[in-house]
Amino acid sequence: MENSYIIGSIAVAAILTYVTRIIPFLLFRTREPSPLIKYIELNMPLMIMVILVFYALKDVKWDVYPYGLAEIIGVCVAIALHVKFKNALLSIFIATLTYMFLIQKVL
Amino acid sequence: MNFLAIFKLTIPVMMGYVPLGMAFGLLLSKLLIPWYYAFFMSAFIYAGSGQFLLLTLFASQATILEIGIATFLLNLRHTFYGLSMISTFKNFSWKKHYLIFSLTDETFALLKTSEVPEKNREKAYLLISVLNQCYWILGSVVGALLGNILPFNYEGIEFSLTALFVVLSIELYKKNRLHKPFFVALIIGLFGMVLFPPQKMLILSLCAAAFVLIVFKRSMENGK
Repeated sequence: MENSYIIGSIAVAAILTYVTRIIPFLLFRTREPSPLIKYIELNMPLMIMVILVFYALKDVKWDVYPYGLAEIIGVCVAIALHVKFKNALLSIFIATLTYMFLIQKVL
Repeated sequence: MNFLAIFKLTIPVMMGYVPLGMAFGLLLSKLLIPWYYAFFMSAFIYAGSGQFLLLTLFASQATILEIGIATFLLNLRHTFYGLSMISTFKNFSWKKHYLIFSLTDETFALLKTSEVPEKNREKAYLLISVLNQCYWILGSVVGALLGNILPFNYEGIEFSLTALFVVLSIELYKKNRLHKPFFVALIIGLFGMVLFPPQKMLILSLCAAAFVLIVFKRSMENGK
């Protein structure tokens, strides 16, 4: 692969990725965000976060063994621990260990 | 918030970014691309799935135009993150450009849920963002240089990012005044995961969520 091709591609990808991130700030640089934008600002993060959970699970093969069992158990462990102890690090850590143990040793 | 408290916030991201970055670096070295390009990509593009996509496109010798279009579409979701950050970043100094540049899925998630007093906010946000990018760069460079020879089995550690999103969803659910958007997002996410093609799942689901949020504003705000 040629260096110029790699460098050109990286430059294009870097600029366009930045563009996707700066668009909203350019749009609302001068005018005050409307009540509708404020409403979106307030409620969209919760929706984004929930959707990111499913996004993180998008490559799970639900129709072949073990049917995403490790992921389901991992998510349940995270929810249960977090509701009970409210300690983010603990919930994430134990859920991840559980998941790793399941996929490496059990399933 | 002191350094230690902020570092603690970023640990889950570290647990995800280092191994994922290593996977990226490893893939890059398998395409026989020199390791320092892993550094440049992670330093200047800094988008996890975007960088994996770029490697896939390299492998198929895509044109730069194709690369541009694919990257833009994949990363369009970031626009929604910025939209939720406009008022927060508004009074920050020029350094906010770095915050905007480094607004990945995970950094957005941390910034949105961290509870930093307003006067320290800019500094804390910068630290969170810089730490996260360091993890990513570190992982990708290490992966490109020695991913092949590392002995320990870290398979599955990337689940920490899934768990992070789960935990932060619960946090935001508790904080949000309205709860209906949560249930709408659950349904959209579930359908999106099953029905939408994996590469487009995120942007399509986010558009659907924004659409429902706006069109049904009145019923979202009614009841609770």
